[in-house]
Amino acid sequence: MSDTSMSDTGASTASVQPRPEVRAPGEWNFPQPRELVLPNGIRALVHDVPGQYVISVRATVPVALRHEPREIEGVAWIMARLLDEGTRTHSQRELSELLERRGVAIGAGMSEAALGVDMDVPQRNLEEALALLTECLSEPVFAETEVARLTRTRLAEIEQERASAGRRALKEWAKTYYDASSRASRPGSGTPDTVAAITRQAVVDFHAEHVHPEGATVVVAGDLTGVDVDALLAGSLGAWTTSGRTASVEPAPAPRAADAARVVLVDRPGSVQSEILIGSPGPDRRVDSGWAPFPILGYVIGGAPNARIDEVLREDKGYTYGIRAGFRPRQIGSAFTVSGSVRADSTVDSLRLLTQILGEVGTGLTEQETRAGVDFMTLTAPGRYDTADAIADETSGLAGDNLPLTFTSDVIAAMRELTPADLDAAWREHVSQERTIIVVGDAQLYRDEVESLGLGPVTVVPN
Amino acid sequence: MHFTLEEHTLPNGLRVVVQPDDTTPTVTVNLWVGVGSRHEEAGRTGFAHLFEHLMFQGSANVDNGEHFQALMGVGGRLNATTWFDRTNYFETIPSGALELALWLEADRHANLLAAVNQANLDNQRDVVKEEKRQRYDNQPYGQALSTVYATIFPKGHPYHHPTIGSMEDLDAASVQDVHDFFTTHYAPDNTVMAIVGDVTAERAFALVEQYFGHITHKAAPRRGPVAPLPPLTEPVRVEVVDEVPNDRIHLAFRLPAEGGDTRRDFLAASMALDCLGGLSFSPLEQHLVLDEQVANSIDVGAMGFVDGVSLGLVVADVAEGVDTDELEEQICAELTAFADEGPTPEQMEAVRAQAERGWLSALAAKDERADIIGHYTCLHDDPEYINTFLYRLAEITPDDVRAAADRWLRPQSRAAVVYRAADEQEEVA
Repeated sequence: MSDTSMSDTGASTASVQPRPEVRAPGEWNFPQPRELVLPNGIRALVHDVPGQYVISVRATVPVALRHEPREIEGVAWIMARLLDEGTRTHSQRELSELLERRGVAIGAGMSEAALGVDMDVPQRNLEEALALLTECLSEPVFAETEVARLTRTRLAEIEQERASAGRRALKEWAKTYYDASSRASRPGSGTPDTVAAITRQAVVDFHAEHVHPEGATVVVAGDLTGVDVDALLAGSLGAWTTSGRTASVEPAPAPRAADAARVVLVDRPGSVQSEILIGSPGPDRRVDSGWAPFPILGYVIGGAPNARIDEVLREDKGYTYGIRAGFRPRQIGSAFTVSGSVRADSTVDSLRLLTQILGEVGTGLTEQETRAGVDFMTLTAPGRYDTADAIADETSGLAGDNLPLTFTSDVIAAMRELTPADLDAAWREHVSQERTIIVVGDAQLYRDEVESLGLGPVTVVPN
Repeated sequence: MHFTLEEHTLPNGLRVVVQPDDTTPTVTVNLWVGVGSRHEEAGRTGFAHLFEHLMFQGSANVDNGEHFQALMGVGGRLNATTWFDRTNYFETIPSGALELALWLEADRHANLLAAVNQANLDNQRDVVKEEKRQRYDNQPYGQALSTVYATIFPKGHPYHHPTIGSMEDLDAASVQDVHDFFTTHYAPDNTVMAIVGDVTAERAFALVEQYFGHITHKAAPRRGPVAPLPPLTEPVRVEVVDEVPNDRIHLAFRLPAEGGDTRRDFLAASMALDCLGGLSFSPLEQHLVLDEQVANSIDVGAMGFVDGVSLGLVVADVAEGVDTDELEEQICAELTAFADEGPTPEQMEAVRAQAERGWLSALAAKDERADIIGHYTCLHDDPEYINTFLYRLAEITPDDVRAAADRWLRPQSRAAVVYRAADEQEEVA
């Protein structure tokens, strides 16, 4: 039977074309925004992107999670999520109706050292949307009932996160990896105890103390034909004033725990897969030798189906749907992480193979791997940044981390020059081989064998 | 806003739609093959998706893994997906790599079987099983949608089983099945190619002719759509006790098929769901999440299908300490009120405005734009849909929305899949 089918395709093969050559792409640089300073000192970065009819607005305000009072951690997230739930001018209901009727999508959240408010809106409603965005930042009321609802929702979400293997692994990893004194060791949006302790007054106070125009940035990207964006910004976010001052969000270290190099098994009896998260110290984006080698290393090790990890664990062994590696930069330092889920009965072999693969990185990358990584990272850039929202996100991320706006282009240019020796040096000098390993799964299946792998002290904790 | 489309069908039946856009030096190629899990036979569920994986394992002139490697190495971002109605394969590449992308696609779409063997079938079967475990079996509520499909669509119906299939059926798949599946479904006359980006229509057509013109294989004749399914006449329900964080209610509704005579009805039903629960001032959200706070969240959505029926969903995450049955009754009361009274003008305005922004955002990216063109050309014979959707949406009246809710979204037509959190005793036992 298969011969019959094969002969069908054999006929096609006869007329197959020679493999085409690829034409080299032209030069490309990340688009540089026009920069202006609004009347209140806010830095505005404007990208006019013809053909992008939804305008993306990204406001970042310097606020650090480490500024939260310890006993009410999570208050910054609650504050962020309540910004668009009622202002002095518009009740919760009026505001959400206005936003939705104008086609506005708005969302806010916290990162390590910034409050970010993202807004997307069709171009013709930009003026009204900017006015509403300003209102959300400057005069939210944080109604008692909304605070109560959101803390309650947040508590339910914490339970949902505990049920998700990936989220559970991340939480345990942070707790194990960072020193207990560091804010980074605890969940950004709080624990059940701290969230339950958040009152309306605490949210009001946190907003009053920390949310100011000083040091804030706004990015606007999209088709701005016929839009006087400078005037719109000056009349909205540029007119926002407060009586307070922004607290310093200068880069602060997140120290590792003294006993970070160990294995923690989060026990989930009956689990059909094991979620693995391995993380070790790496550099941040200001590293002296330049950031360029690190995304390439992530790609070569675990950024594609034919990267070192998936070539073995997925394509050879069939243990996983896919495992990803990469650097997660903070203000100071980063974590090089490897994460993914594997079939439960392959947990021990997967850990063995993963540590072996990571160990072998130190013996050098090939010219071919280097070229593949550099080509992927540099040549995909024009496509990765060809929409207003992607451009706005990248610019906002750079501005929020106080990096030069040429950073993206500079890194891509530097990547093109990288040799295998550069990647080897970057790995050797900046990526620690001490690993914090978390496995979420059925611990009794593999506990003893994991201990005998010699990856560090092994402890088992309940889910 | 208007996108210029050029269309050409090769003599072998391959339909090509080109949307030139030189704003950035990239181009997206997206092939929609008219086969999905709705075409699977009993005992072979999950096969369309498993087959999709094999399309990356090499073909006559391409090595195992080379498809990914070759395209990523020249700056391509690529993948493929399988769904009930179709399978798609896509890449966005620098314009200079368009020919290579077409050559690679042509090789696997014409000459896949030369490379299929037991070893790569076994390997990808394992990978797909891990995909299933990761996305369904090892996720809280991970089986909810599969249970919904099995509950609301009758046994044997094309949408009764999920695209991921069953472990037993995946185990049963043989190399012969791969050959038969390819021969039956993968052919130019069952494929649509959308090309969006930095290329002229003239050049794109010439290149497609050059790389795909020689393929003579024909797909087996397509069956017509199955008979339309009416709304359920009385509620059906499945109760699931599982180790989940809290109770969750999934209410599912049959909706009209998206396409053909019922396209407008589908759109109206989809808007009805958005009015009911998609806005912050929708009745489900306003009353049950914001005011009474008996649900942590309520999500609504419509999935458009082509085989005689679509699917509407209302999913409520039950707040701590709230009686789940009471919440279900409250949701039902809101459904009834909406079906009686219809939407407010403010709801209609907001649903249209949100849909417009979502649509423009989707079309802003070449890869999504190509996917939408492929979708509406392959399944609905309507490439121009990208230019007409917002007008169609504007034509739906409040009365259309009320009528759709009245016919499709009444409580008696619901299929309920209710998850109840196993209590501590049961967990220990």
